[in-house]
Amino acid sequence: MELLSYFVSALTPLNLLMALGGVVLGTIIGALPGLSATMAVAVLVPFTFTMDPATGLIALGAIYTGAIYGGAFAAILVNTPGTPSAIATTFDGFPMAKRGDGSLAVTLATLASVVGGLVGGVFLLLLSPPLAKVALAFGPPEYFWLAIFGLTLISALSVGNTIKGLLGGCIGLMLAMVGVAVVGGDIRFTMGTHTLLGGFDIVSALIGLYCIPVLIDLVATPDRHLKVEQGNRGIRFLEAFGLAWKSKFNVIRSAVVGTIVGILPGAGGSIAGLVSYSEARRSSKEPETFGKGAPDGLMATEAANNATVGGGFIPTLVLGIPGTPPDAIILGALLVQGIKIGPTLFSQQGDIVYTFIFGLLIATALMLPAGLLIGRYAYKSIASIPKTLLVPTIAFLTVIGSFAIHSNLHDVTMMISLGVLGWVLNRCGFAPSPIVLGLVLGKIAEQGFVQSYLIGNATNNITGMFFGRPISLAIVALAVFTVIYPLIFAKRKEKAKKRALDAARSYSESNGETTVPDIQEIKASSFDPLAGLKKQIAKPRDISGMVVSAILIVAAGWAYSQTATMSPMGSVFPSTISVAVIILSVMLLALNFLRKPAEAASETANASVSRRVALVLVMAGWVAVIPAIGFASAAIVAFLILSRVACYEIMGPKRQLTEALAAIAIVGGLYLLMAKVLLIRMPSGFLF
Amino acid sequence: MRKLAIAAAITATLISGTAFAEYPEKTINYIIPFNAGGESDVSARFQQPYLEALADQSFVIQYMAGAGGAQAWSQLNGMEGDGYTIMGINLPHTILQPMEKDVGYETKDLTYINFFHYTPNALFVPKDSEFQNLQELIDYAKANPGLVTLSGSGSNSANHLGQVQFDELAGITTTYVPFSGTGPAVTAILGSQTTGGFNYVTSGVNNGDGMRMLAVASETRVKAFPDVPTFKELGLDIVGGAFRGVAVPKSTPEPIREKISQMVTDVNNNPEFKKKMEDAGFVLTDITYDFINDFVAAKYEEYREIAEKLGIANR
Repeated sequence: MELLSYFVSALTPLNLLMALGGVVLGTIIGALPGLSATMAVAVLVPFTFTMDPATGLIALGAIYTGAIYGGAFAAILVNTPGTPSAIATTFDGFPMAKRGDGSLAVTLATLASVVGGLVGGVFLLLLSPPLAKVALAFGPPEYFWLAIFGLTLISALSVGNTIKGLLGGCIGLMLAMVGVAVVGGDIRFTMGTHTLLGGFDIVSALIGLYCIPVLIDLVATPDRHLKVEQGNRGIRFLEAFGLAWKSKFNVIRSAVVGTIVGILPGAGGSIAGLVSYSEARRSSKEPETFGKGAPDGLMATEAANNATVGGGFIPTLVLGIPGTPPDAIILGALLVQGIKIGPTLFSQQGDIVYTFIFGLLIATALMLPAGLLIGRYAYKSIASIPKTLLVPTIAFLTVIGSFAIHSNLHDVTMMISLGVLGWVLNRCGFAPSPIVLGLVLGKIAEQGFVQSYLIGNATNNITGMFFGRPISLAIVALAVFTVIYPLIFAKRKEKAKKRALDAARSYSESNGETTVPDIQEIKASSFDPLAGLKKQIAKPRDISGMVVSAILIVAAGWAYSQTATMSPMGSVFPSTISVAVIILSVMLLALNFLRKPAEAASETANASVSRRVALVLVMAGWVAVIPAIGFASAAIVAFLILSRVACYEIMGPKRQLTEALAAIAIVGGLYLLMAKVLLIRMPSGFLF
Repeated sequence: MRKLAIAAAITATLISGTAFAEYPEKTINYIIPFNAGGESDVSARFQQPYLEALADQSFVIQYMAGAGGAQAWSQLNGMEGDGYTIMGINLPHTILQPMEKDVGYETKDLTYINFFHYTPNALFVPKDSEFQNLQELIDYAKANPGLVTLSGSGSNSANHLGQVQFDELAGITTTYVPFSGTGPAVTAILGSQTTGGFNYVTSGVNNGDGMRMLAVASETRVKAFPDVPTFKELGLDIVGGAFRGVAVPKSTPEPIREKISQMVTDVNNNPEFKKKMEDAGFVLTDITYDFINDFVAAKYEEYREIAEKLGIANR
């Protein structure tokens, strides 16, 4: 009954307005890669000091939850996670949009996000103090195994291409090692530069690895970016609701996983999304559709990442330990307001806390109409906007997004370099997702490992530290299950196929017909442990893969030589990874030597190489001239040049004028959002 | 000609004089070289409303985390020195980092303005720990060398220095386990992942129910914890922790530097601010622009001695 009165007090018009405004602003910020919930929350904290504490908190919470949801838009529509939480959303969201199901994907993401957010919020409301203990039960070994569990997803993401997937994961892990090490304090692989001291920023790496390849391929052909939907089917709400209802267990399970991962400080939405994606794939009846546009994969990720919002507030409010960076800012705001954090908060300052939690729940529910409305226009406009505007707009977003992280052009340079590298690697068969997984999970795995080792070594119980703790063992079991399950599943499926064929054969025999191909198939599917290897060898020789492995061997050798001067704590991970890279690369090379030489490669389609090169050059030049002529003027010039690069048709003067005006409006609008709303320091050269 | 020059000089002085007198005229960016939620962020958030009232301008707190703060400090002198960019600065970080390796800045390159508070180190154990006081922990560590694990924020940090001094002065060997920030380090103590940990006193305020503070590394007892003894009282001469203040780009004019230092001091003298900070476990200091360089120089020698023991004084 008491709770109900808090619910009523959360329903003031001002609170509702704050919740709605927060969700809309958050969604927009989340949808723009590089602009984060942390930034928006940080800027708005001072304004909340003038408000009633609960109202201020509702506004901040609404922005936060909106931003996590908004990340899905960029993931679905341009294959770039708007926030790290949406990494796994790209796996299925973009393929859906590509085949013309963009509206459906956005609506599904909205439904899943709302359900996930509500589940996380209800846990926060009802079970905070007991659940906060979960945060404390997770020690270094559990974080280590959780990261390893996340990495096992690589095997699922790179079926038929496992060595390359693992190598990609190692590349990502190696990138995560660059910079000043938290444990040990060593400076690693910076090659003497100061720009790499802070390491590779995850957000700028995400933008580069996912978005730049999209751009490079967009300009290469006159084809449309996304398939336009047939007919006007609107937001396809009923269809989406039906799909979501059918996989309600998936959505609820993912939301619970998201809540629990959210409780763990330092894990966050990206890991929550990856873990539930992996679980959804494992328990799916059609795991082979995952990564090709499976609605279940999309819903799992989105339900999980929004559930981390409620989950993350649990340790923040109960223990004073923020689960995520936005939580940390909100915690700071609470402290400044003079609110005493701790288990007593719920009993002694219930009016503020419960009003806030109800406000968060209301904001989450408001995401449904707000999200559907935004989604309705987002997909349509991205799908129908001409390439001459789409390419420069996305390019501008990548620059502005990677710049915004630290108000620093180094991050932009890094983003473009990683993007070009990612494109080349992708062409050689190394997909970006394993690299990103390695980059996101590398530091968590390393710190967990070294801390566990230190504690285990001190207590003379290293084995017990890694393999003697119940939660660790459960995570290890899940990881093993995830790796093995597809194999068991494949065999079971093969058996089923064999049974079906047997039946068919006996049927056809009884009819006196011969079905020769079927019999051959049965022979092929009989058990043969070397079948996988044979199948691998039967592929044509992959020259580009061989070149990459040769380069990787040299790079890993260099990295290994560098570890000699590091402290034992700082060197254990990089040296292990370099050895793994060398072993995997040698395997890949050996495999290719066994293969037959490929026939003369036929150049795929009529893609324009010159336009691709032009795009990369324009972007590099763009970054170079910003310090001289200022951010906005460089952006407008580059925008106009890029729209030429992406132009495949002859445009009349009227359309050229419209597009130039649109360019100025897009650049100007986003520039103002950055400089005036988010108050990011922009370099101004001699122009503006 | 000469008259003209004098006139020009006077006009210039007047113009710049009035310009400085009017400072600040627009929003001031207050850059925190760490992630949100740490002590640097929280104390800046405490200052924010008072600074805004004083200057009648808004102060925008921004984060520029990376390399334990080095990412931001190495860029500070390249920023515009017009007084509208100020940056949080920490000791011992800006002394130890360049002492250990080339991080893109030197201790003396930075323009320190005012250190307004410090957070003493404290030794914590979990609430249900068997160790009721410092002596019990020392006795146990003596009997079991290396078995006691102490968490802390980062390697070669203020927390780490505290652990090294503790080992040396108490004649024991403990194992230091670095974490990626004070938050995770505290979580490790709360969850009994480690025997205990060196952390800042402020961590004891938020998590007071889950941890016991055995001793605090300040000269005198901390106001928020009048019952916790200092290491000195217990016979160990350990005084340490982190100082936090503000710095500006080197090109910032002298009058503006003084004005900023004055504003920070004025906020420190505000009784309401003082109470909030002290309740949260911060110890206010008043190291103003006039003698801040002497202070940093003295600290440099002090930290150098410990860094040599730690084996990290490479430069």
